[in-house]
Order: sequence, then structure tokens, then C-alpha cells
Amino acid sequence: MMKFTCERDVLIKEISVAQEIISSRNVLSILSNVMLEAAENTLRIRATDLKVGFETRIPVEVAQEGSSTVFCDKLLGILRSLPEGEVEFETSENDVFSIRPVFRKIDFQLKSISSEKFPEIQQAQSDSFFEFSQAAIIEMIRQTAFAVSDDETRYFMNGVYMENVDGHLVMVATDGRRLSYIRSEEDSELPDFPGVIVPPKVLGLVRKLASGEGTVRISITPKAVFFHFDNQKLSSSLIEGQFPNYQRVIPESQQYTATVDRNELSEALRRVSLLVEKSRRIYMKIADGSIGISSEQSEIGVAHEELSCAYDGPETLMALNYVYLSEPLKVIENDQVEIQFSEATKAITLYSVPRASYFHIIMPMQLD
Amino acid sequence: MARNTVYCHVDLDAFYASVEQLDKPELRGKPVIVGGSEHGRGVVSACSYEARTYGVHSAMPAAEARRRAPHAVFLPVRMGRYQEVSARIMAVLSEYTPTLQQISVDEAFLDLTGTERLSGHPVDIGRRIKRRIHEAFGLTASVGIGATRFVAKMASDFDKPDGLHYVEAGGEEDFVLGLDLTDLWGLGRKTRSRLEALGITRVSHLHAQRIETLRGHFGEAAGTFLYRIARGIDPGIFSGARKSHSISSETTFERDISDPDIIEAILLDLCEQVMYRRYREGGVSRTVQLKLRKHDFSTRTVRRSVPNEIGSTDEFYREARRLLVERWDGTPLRLLGCGLENVQSPESLAKQPELFDQTHRSAERRRRLEEAVFKLREGGIDIRKAGGFREEGYKDST
Repeated sequence: MMKFTCERDVLIKEISVAQEIISSRNVLSILSNVMLEAAENTLRIRATDLKVGFETRIPVEVAQEGSSTVFCDKLLGILRSLPEGEVEFETSENDVFSIRPVFRKIDFQLKSISSEKFPEIQQAQSDSFFEFSQAAIIEMIRQTAFAVSDDETRYFMNGVYMENVDGHLVMVATDGRRLSYIRSEEDSELPDFPGVIVPPKVLGLVRKLASGEGTVRISITPKAVFFHFDNQKLSSSLIEGQFPNYQRVIPESQQYTATVDRNELSEALRRVSLLVEKSRRIYMKIADGSIGISSEQSEIGVAHEELSCAYDGPETLMALNYVYLSEPLKVIENDQVEIQFSEATKAITLYSVPRASYFHIIMPMQLD
Repeated sequence: MARNTVYCHVDLDAFYASVEQLDKPELRGKPVIVGGSEHGRGVVSACSYEARTYGVHSAMPAAEARRRAPHAVFLPVRMGRYQEVSARIMAVLSEYTPTLQQISVDEAFLDLTGTERLSGHPVDIGRRIKRRIHEAFGLTASVGIGATRFVAKMASDFDKPDGLHYVEAGGEEDFVLGLDLTDLWGLGRKTRSRLEALGITRVSHLHAQRIETLRGHFGEAAGTFLYRIARGIDPGIFSGARKSHSISSETTFERDISDPDIIEAILLDLCEQVMYRRYREGGVSRTVQLKLRKHDFSTRTVRRSVPNEIGSTDEFYREARRLLVERWDGTPLRLLGCGLENVQSPESLAKQPELFDQTHRSAERRRRLEEAVFKLREGGIDIRKAGGFREEGYKDST
């Protein structure tokens, strides 16, 4: 029979991560539960949706070692409702899990399920890990994860592709109509690993758990990917399938370049898109010294905005999904962007000025 | 109006039940009820005229139908079969007019304006249509002819079944005055009872009201509507070729269903029906709609738009299923429906080309394959998706 005491706030932090992993859509089952295991003055917390696994350790005062699983959603709700301070947790014989704040007359009793029924979380071999900068992985995820497809028939685009290119970590995401690419700058020693497609869920959790300081230990195997922080471990199975040959769609060179203020372009898109209907189509007219952004004429009305740019080339009109343009603008760090293109019907490239280790590619829409 | 318009409304009599009697000769002359079953809660989808003599009508709970017609034969809805027959009849109808407007599986408007010199008097055309439908398909149809779709529609009802009624131009007001309030098209039960509360129980009573009075009681739009229909003036319900519309299909279950596998199989089936109609009617859509009615009758309709047109049943089903997964909490369902909204002409849809040609090609391949299957089906060869499923005895209507 397990019994331990710990600070409410310390536990909430970890349980809320666990709850993010647990798929709330599932019918109630053992997978709706979080596993708690108290031993040697440490509480081990585990949660999984069978694809993504999470494990964390926090120091607690253990009165009696043991383990159990409880409905995570309710546990989190209860913890949030309790006053700050120490809370005592205890399982009793008939699978009842009690939550009692110390010095308060509050008593919650949750049904629990034996931890024996809790699924195993996959573990990586300890020799397969490499160290990677937390700041770098955060940036790489930020530049790519938004571009994945949520179209299930394109399951192989439902994740971010990670591969080792000449010792650099490269991450690519596409939904088939736009593509985002980033290559790590640092020369950290990367082991050989196969190119893998990583689901965005675990990448989102990495962003959440990473402090941005120091390193995270990463292991990439043919079936799964692992991210280990100091006390927290994430794992995820991979998306099987062939990621498209992305190099083929990266334009080798573009004929024309327009340089524009990133923020101004972003704001203009936000305004004009107010009058864009479901097609998400905006028109962008690039001319000498100016870029004009227009919505389509519709029953609601029409919007137009012009902003200055540095451009020397033929006047070009193209149609674009404004979301494809505004999403990269949100993640590009620098104040200026380059829009590179060759023809109104061919893919355009979006670069940061000065150049960074990433770029974004967008396939224009048809003009008419 | 530049010239005198002529519309013909063709309404197939007791269509589902008639097709069943056609396919199963032993049922001819017997009360046949399609949809629902004698046990469950289902709803009558259609019934033969023999069943109607017992007071059975469509949308009646099956249990009630059973009580009224204890010896009736209950049959499950075979929508695929009805659509097949319907498609062939519609093909025949389209020979008589360049503008055929199909309203549902068993109903269509023919714009006969200006066809007189070529095809003869509208009444002769109406007779020929009835004869051809009977000779080629063994089915009867009721035909109404008038200067507007509104009048033509009520005229086809006038002498049903196997009727033919012609309302000459200028005779609309007299025609309408001869009808019961219940025969006035577009007048719902609620409005009718509100009219009755005002002492308006006959068309002539309605006709006597001033437009201001009607607007005062029913509001601007509904008041105008009532004023117009009481004079046989088309209130604009079937106004010409609409810029966009939706195509949908739904089904009410015999018993509440909560098994996700069955729900998904039925959803696939519904998606296929809608895609077939979209294929026949033409047009493209990017908006998928899903309708759920729970056991407590609470109903919700959710929709989602995707970047490119829904080109195949697979794509349609995928989106509809996603909506289902997101919006259905697993409580038992009474009704499931899905549809395509904002169906427009292909030119009006903004196209988003693909970066990788192979993804584009596979979507295009699915689309072409499906069109080929639909074409075969029109030729009478029935090919169906392996996942398609139809539980005995649930009712549907498109």
C-alpha cells in the first residue's frame, strides 16, 4: 500500500504534462490514468497514449513504497482545487486512492487501477543518445512543426522529418503545398541514424519541457525517438512511411528577389485576410518598390494594402494561401524577409534577412 | 418577362415502394412500407398506395404504420437501387429539355420554355413523358405543368397518382383558390395552425387578406410569401440555377446506435451517396457537413472547409469521419447525416496546386476511378466500396 507526501505545486506541474499526453478522446481505460510509483523518496510518474510516453521523477517523502494508477483528468482537477501546501496520498486495500491535504479536513477518494495493468513505456538503449542544444532544438521545432499536414491520407506528411545530413541535424515539414526546412548550425557529433518522421505531439512536448538552457539527450532509432531531460523523459513512436523527396521541390535558384519588412507584411496580411473567404486566397502584386496585397472581390467587399519593398524585376501577380505566407512570417526571427520567385505559378522561397539556417517554400495558388 | 415560361414538374409516384414492387412482382397490389420495421422505432420512408389506403404515410413512426396496416410488408431502404433507376429516368427527362433541375431522387423540374415548336404542346410532352416512364420502367409519374415551378409543383400533386394537370398561363389564381390550405406548397404545419388561429382555414380566406395584415401577423418576409402564394405567384422557392447549394444525405436509425464501427460504415455509405449525386449534378465543394442527432433529439450540424475540392468519396469520408471523431462523444445516435455545402461550378473554386506531383496524381487517380465506377453504375453495373455497409432496416432519405 503506497503512501507519500508532496508539495501540491510540484505535483501539479508534472501531472499537467501527463494529462497533455493522455488522449482525452479515448474511452475511459487504463490509458486515461496516470501511473504513480513511490520508492526511495522519489515519485515516478508515467503517462502514455501508447504512442507518446512520458516519465518524470520528483522527490517526495515516501512513508510506504508502492504503486498505483488513477484517472489523471480528475487528479489534476482535484490538485488544482486544493490549497497550496503539502498533500498526503495513500492507496488502501480496496483500490481506493486518497488525496488529503495535510492540516486540512479535505478528503478525496478516487478509484484506482492496479499499476500491473499499465502498459510499458518503450526505453532506448543508453548508448544511442547524443547531446543536443535545447535552444537549437526549440528553434528547429518552431521553424518546422507548424507546416505538417493534418491530412490523414498523407500520413507520411503528418510529422516532421529528421535526418542527419553531413553531420548536421536537418528537420523538414510539409503538407504538400508548403514546406519548411531548417539545418542545425552547430557541429555537435551526430551519430548515424535513419531519416525518421516524428509526430508533432512529442515535438510540442519537447518545446514545453525544454528550458532553452543546456542540452537535451536525444536518441533516434528506426522505430522510436527519445528526448531525455534531467528528470523528464519523452518517447514517441514514429510515423512509418516514405517522406517525400523534399530536395526535389527546393528551388535551386530563383530569378527575382523582393525584400520587405517582415512585420509590415505580416500586419498587412492580417488586415487583408479579414475579407478573405474560405479559399484563403490573396493576391500579391510585386512591382518596382511596392508589394500590393489584395483580397478577392466578394459579396462582403474587398481589401487592398500596399507596402514598400526593395525589388527590381518585372511586375508579377501571384495568388497565395495567406495562411501559408503568414505562418512562416510569425516564426522568422529577423526584421526583413526576402521573397524569392521565378514565375507566378512556381514555388516561392521565403528567407530571413540576414540569412538564417532555415527557409520556407510556398506553392502559389492558381490565379483565376 | 421576355417570353412565356413553361415548367413541367415530374414526380414519381410512391417511388421507393414502386421500385420494390417492380423488383419483387409478388408485392404488387400489396401494402408495401419502405423504411423502419414492424418492431423497431424507425420511420416510414415511403409506402405504396395500397399502404396509404390504411392511413400510412411517409415520416410516420414504423410502430404506428404497423398498427394501421398490420399485414403490410416492411422493407429496408435500398437507396443505391433507387438512385440507379432515378438516374436512368432523369436521363430520359433530359431529352425533353436542356434545363433539367433535379430536386431529389424522385422529382425534377423541366424548363419547357420555347420548346413548343420543336416538341409540341406542353400537355403532349407531359403525356409522352408519362408514357415513356411507364413503358420503359413500369412506373407511374404525376406531371404538373404551369408558368412557374411553384404552380407546376402543385399541379403535379393535384391529380396524384398517375396524374397530369395543366394550369394555363393566367389561370394560376383560380387554380390556387380551388386548393385546400394543406395543398399550398411551402405552407408548413406551424404556419397553418397560426393561420387557423386567425380564422383563415381556406385559400380564399388567405386570398382576402391585405398584404399589410399578413405582414403584421407574420413579418415582412413570411407575410409577402403568404400573399404571393395565395395568388399563385411563385414566391421564389425554386428560383433558377442557384449559385451554390448543398447536397446531403441522412439516415434515421432503427435503434439508437453507439457502435463506432457501425456508425463509420454508415457514414461511408452516406458519403458515397452524396458523392454520386454530386457527380451527376456536377459542381465542386470544399465544405463537408456532418449532422448528428442524439437519442434525446438534440441535433447539431458541424462543418469544415478544406483547402481543395472534395474529389472522391475517400476524401469526403475522411473529413466527415474527422468531424465525427471530434464532435461525437459516443452517446447513442438516432440520426446521422453528411453533406457537401457550397457546391459551386468548378470554375469558381480557387485551386491550390501541389508541390509534389505524386500526391496530386494519387488524388486525381482516386477521383477518376470513382467517376468510372459511377459511370458503370449508371450503365446498370453495381460496383460498391468493400467498406460499404447497410444494416438491415434502417431508413434513409436524400
